[in-house]
Amino acid sequence: MSRLDRGPDKKRNRGVGSLLADYAVPVIFIVISVVAIPLSDFSATYLIQELLVRIGRNSFLILSLLIPIMAGMGLNFGMVLGAMAGQIGLIFVSDWAVVGIPGIVLAMIIGTPVAVALGILCGEVLNRAKGQEMVTSYILGFFINGVYQLFVLYFMGWLIPISNPALVLSRGHGIRNAISLTGIRMVLDRLIPLQVGTVTIPVATYLVIAAFCFFILWFRKTKLGQDMRAIGQDMAVADSAGIPVNRTRVIAIVISTVLACYGQIIFLQNMGTLNTYNSHDQAGMFSIAALLIGGASVSRAGIGNVFLGVVLFHLMFIVAPKAGRNLMGEAQIGEYFRVFVSYGIIALALVLHAWKRLRDRAEARRSLRGPAGKE
Amino acid sequence: MRHFLRLLLLALVVLLGTWLVYIGREHQVFLDNKTIEVDGQSFRALKSVKVSVNGAEPVELLPRDRDLALVVGPAFRIRVEVMDEWGEEVVKTIDRELTPGFSRDMMLSMPLLAADREDWVRPSPTVQQEAP
Repeated sequence: MSRLDRGPDKKRNRGVGSLLADYAVPVIFIVISVVAIPLSDFSATYLIQELLVRIGRNSFLILSLLIPIMAGMGLNFGMVLGAMAGQIGLIFVSDWAVVGIPGIVLAMIIGTPVAVALGILCGEVLNRAKGQEMVTSYILGFFINGVYQLFVLYFMGWLIPISNPALVLSRGHGIRNAISLTGIRMVLDRLIPLQVGTVTIPVATYLVIAAFCFFILWFRKTKLGQDMRAIGQDMAVADSAGIPVNRTRVIAIVISTVLACYGQIIFLQNMGTLNTYNSHDQAGMFSIAALLIGGASVSRAGIGNVFLGVVLFHLMFIVAPKAGRNLMGEAQIGEYFRVFVSYGIIALALVLHAWKRLRDRAEARRSLRGPAGKE
Repeated sequence: MRHFLRLLLLALVVLLGTWLVYIGREHQVFLDNKTIEVDGQSFRALKSVKVSVNGAEPVELLPRDRDLALVVGPAFRIRVEVMDEWGEEVVKTIDRELTPGFSRDMMLSMPLLAADREDWVRPSPTVQQEAP
């Protein structure tokens, strides 16, 4: 009797504990935001406007991370490869002076084959490093960054013709550190203008993001999507079932890389400036941090996590410096705090994930022992 | 068949890219009102001229002025109003449509246009500087 009584309680306690462990990161961020927002003294209109802009700017990049998670490949730090491909497209578009929506579409067309090639490379490498996909893709990002710099810093303007002198370094080859994207700046955001009071909503960007969300929902139901989910659950079982595991994993990374390429183009059209050698560096880290803050884990992420994460992450971006200045008299302290918390959260999410995996394994072992084993 | 379809798709993407360059290219149009010598003949700068590109607000050019207009797309319209020497009355109005197509920049010489010369569209100053 006592065992029967204790059983559901224990289950309920574990449920609450599990729920807290699952949502520890967003809960921490919500608490910090609730404290920081009043301290920052920002008006609600300002915060809403900033958040709307930042959601439009970053969501596409973060959504590109979902498909590799679905395929059990963890957080794709290799998305910076796609970001580099997008930047190559933007460099050519700036050189050819193609502006407006045609400029954005052309940058995507140029970036796509580069992203596909880099995605295939990344996928093949990750297939040789099963179980260590995240660290491998992270290091691969550094390697490809070197190749990117070789192309952009030495080959462009020399082997690859660049006609616009404003883009080329004074020595005659290599691309300048900063490129102004005035021709395509905010063209997608301003394509369908909508003003609600003093708040401007970038409708076209949101429509693109919504289309991407529907694509992900549709993709999950396709044969390829189901294969990816099966691989994500158990690679060996999926292989036994006749699913081409390696090929499917490569496809997942290629799709993610191509979408990251488009995401980076959308991101940079909003910013209006391309930092040739730095813009892609932060793309992966920021996107992964935002996704984890949204309550996602290495093995489980959904569209809801993306939007919750981007709101909480960028809320911190907006309010932390001002809150720090109002609280301590120094904006830099708020900024340090934000950086510390944002990147500490990645570590916390990874540790929580590892701890949960160990706990689940122990739980599974205990359940195999049966009731006698539980005593 | 599969290879053919892939090649067809590739060709379509290249065509789409070319079309995007054609419709989305930004051209720097220099509006030049400087005295110019062509074929040993000198064409003096106009006293006052108003130039409107694609129906935009007209730009007034005095002798030795040069201005820049940015136009997007394969074609654009230009309206030139040559003013009298006090800059009050329009002496002559010229409407032209230009199709720069894939070319990048160009310079429009107002004295040559006022003289009804065919060669009023000149290479841009940047190209002229690069020439040996």
